[in-house]
Amino acid sequence: MLELVQQITNGVAIGSVYVLIALGLTTVFGILGIAHFAHGSVSMFGGYLVYVLVAFQGVSLWLAIPVALVVGMGVGALIEFLAYRPVRNANHINAFIIALGLTMMVEGLNLQFFGADQVVIPTGFDRVFEIAGVTIPETRLYVVLAATVLVIAMTAFVEGTKTGQAIRAVAQNRDAAILMGVNVRSIPLIVFAMSTMLGVAAGVMVGSLFAIAPGVGEAMVVKGFAVLILGGLGSIPGAIIGGLVLGVTEALAAGFLSSAYKDVIAFVVMIVVLLFRPQGLLGGAK
Amino acid sequence: MKRRFTIGAGLAAAVLAASTSLAGAAEKELLVGVSDALTGPAAVYGVPQARAVELAAEEVNAAGGIRLGEDTYKITVLSYDDKANPTEASNSVRKLLDRDGARFLLGFCCSGATGAVASFIQNEDAVMLVGNAAERSITTRGIDNLVRTRPPADYTGAAAGTFVASKGHKRVAVIGALETSFYAMYVDAFEREFVKGGGEIVTREAFGLKDRDMTPQLTKIRALEPDALLVVGYVEPAAFVYRQSVELGLEVPRYGFTSGSEEQFLRVVSAEQMEGVWDLRPTELTLQSTGETGRAYHENFTARFGVQPSPSSPYAYDQLYALRDAILKAGTAEDAAAVARALRELPVPKEAVMQYIPIDGRMFDENGQAYTTNGAFQWQDGQWVFVQELPSVAEDYSRFLSSVDG
Repeated sequence: MLELVQQITNGVAIGSVYVLIALGLTTVFGILGIAHFAHGSVSMFGGYLVYVLVAFQGVSLWLAIPVALVVGMGVGALIEFLAYRPVRNANHINAFIIALGLTMMVEGLNLQFFGADQVVIPTGFDRVFEIAGVTIPETRLYVVLAATVLVIAMTAFVEGTKTGQAIRAVAQNRDAAILMGVNVRSIPLIVFAMSTMLGVAAGVMVGSLFAIAPGVGEAMVVKGFAVLILGGLGSIPGAIIGGLVLGVTEALAAGFLSSAYKDVIAFVVMIVVLLFRPQGLLGGAK
Repeated sequence: MKRRFTIGAGLAAAVLAASTSLAGAAEKELLVGVSDALTGPAAVYGVPQARAVELAAEEVNAAGGIRLGEDTYKITVLSYDDKANPTEASNSVRKLLDRDGARFLLGFCCSGATGAVASFIQNEDAVMLVGNAAERSITTRGIDNLVRTRPPADYTGAAAGTFVASKGHKRVAVIGALETSFYAMYVDAFEREFVKGGGEIVTREAFGLKDRDMTPQLTKIRALEPDALLVVGYVEPAAFVYRQSVELGLEVPRYGFTSGSEEQFLRVVSAEQMEGVWDLRPTELTLQSTGETGRAYHENFTARFGVQPSPSSPYAYDQLYALRDAILKAGTAEDAAAVARALRELPVPKEAVMQYIPIDGRMFDENGQAYTTNGAFQWQDGQWVFVQELPSVAEDYSRFLSSVDG
């Protein structure tokens, strides 16, 4: 029993990272209909940025993270403005091609600026907490807490602010939103800024828990899309549930079956869910 | 006055003779190709190896190059990134052979990529010197134009099993990159000797080379209550295992087979979390266990590249000096087959950093395999400390290797 609880605890920490990645993706996809494949690479850029600030510039981690989040918002808005906006009214395939090209470009830039070595963000969080025999490393605890705070903040923003209302209005009916006086030109900028900020937070978490290296962002975005489909396209609660389910399933599969098949098993679970609920766990029926 | 004249005339004659000799001499280029993992997870081994070849080439050139009769060969090193991938390695080597005209191939940190090249190198007019790749079959195929500086993984694994059994452990849990054959081979050899000593392997948990979260496997291991842990894998995943084992409160002695430097481990795991960890590997470069050449290599490498050399990097450094000596012995840099034959007859070069055990006075045995001693290194106060040699008889293993078919 203790082993089971420990495995679930392990999975929740990883699941929290998946949640943040998927939240960013689901927001962009749900509102703008863009499969933003470069999200993972941009997220890792944020992780690299924090690493450089902390390891080479001597900036405190607590300052480096907000700086990276703000830079991430700017980068997200820039991507929308320069890459996706020009093809907003074109065929969907154009945005799809741009997304693929952008992924390669950002991945290449990361490689150019930060090198091929893997990097681990130095946090200094070495404590380990033990609750009823279950051990929780300090970094993992902070990852879960930070993800929770960001999810609550994101939900509050979307549900409780005028801008959030405008975003939801554009997501539901863009033409009606225009008639209601919503500035629809600024909404994609805001959505990309928010989405990239969440992605950067995930990148920092990956860099603190594990490591950032070329290819990690691409792997993360694949997991993010899996969560997106599992939870339901465009659903924020779906991204949360889906991310946690994927993280815990991977941990249980690696712990009780075989680590060699943990990805396979996680995706089998996803396929099984989709067989019974094609719209995803919390996606709306069509 | 007369004496001065005599000396002056002598000097003039010498200068004249030297210039006559130089008039007929030519400086030629000796192209050395390096195929190694310069990016990706295996770059922790491949990059230091490629740099080690570069350093050795610069040293040889600075010392005047390789002089053969009236010709002087200056070495040019051309490196390609094979990403430790068999297809990429085959492509890299084909480019070096067919496009660049290289006849001497060095590097090769990783077994999968090396095995792919080894499968066709015998048909080429070239010489292949393998470094860190530890898969046994690389030197059991009877390839005449291939030699390897690192001993095979099972040679070291057997010695490690005996050592861990001598520590009194009875139940060892294994976690490692077991889908990589040379790591599985190390563990198999380890288990054979460990079981002879009365122990048992309670579980074998695997991780992928790109995996960084090993907590599920470690949680499972913790529940089995082993009295020791054996970690086999590349430096980075192994470092995560060491870090996460501490985070999960797995308080048992930890043994490993990784060949990582202090610098490489400390990028992932703190010195405190590493305290007491053993690395059971060939007696590779560690300042406490090396001689004068090793210390000079460490100093020069650090000055040249701004980072410390990894423990396994001298396998590649030694390749270049072995190649130089083989060319000198063969008396040609144009006949690759003659150089390959000369390699098998070669004593250990005086510049070699690793402590090779010659077989019948030669650096490489009849299989083209070199041997070093094996050693037990322990992490103490932030660094690897050489504690003792592990029991390993190179002559016996060499005979065994000759008996293995393919």
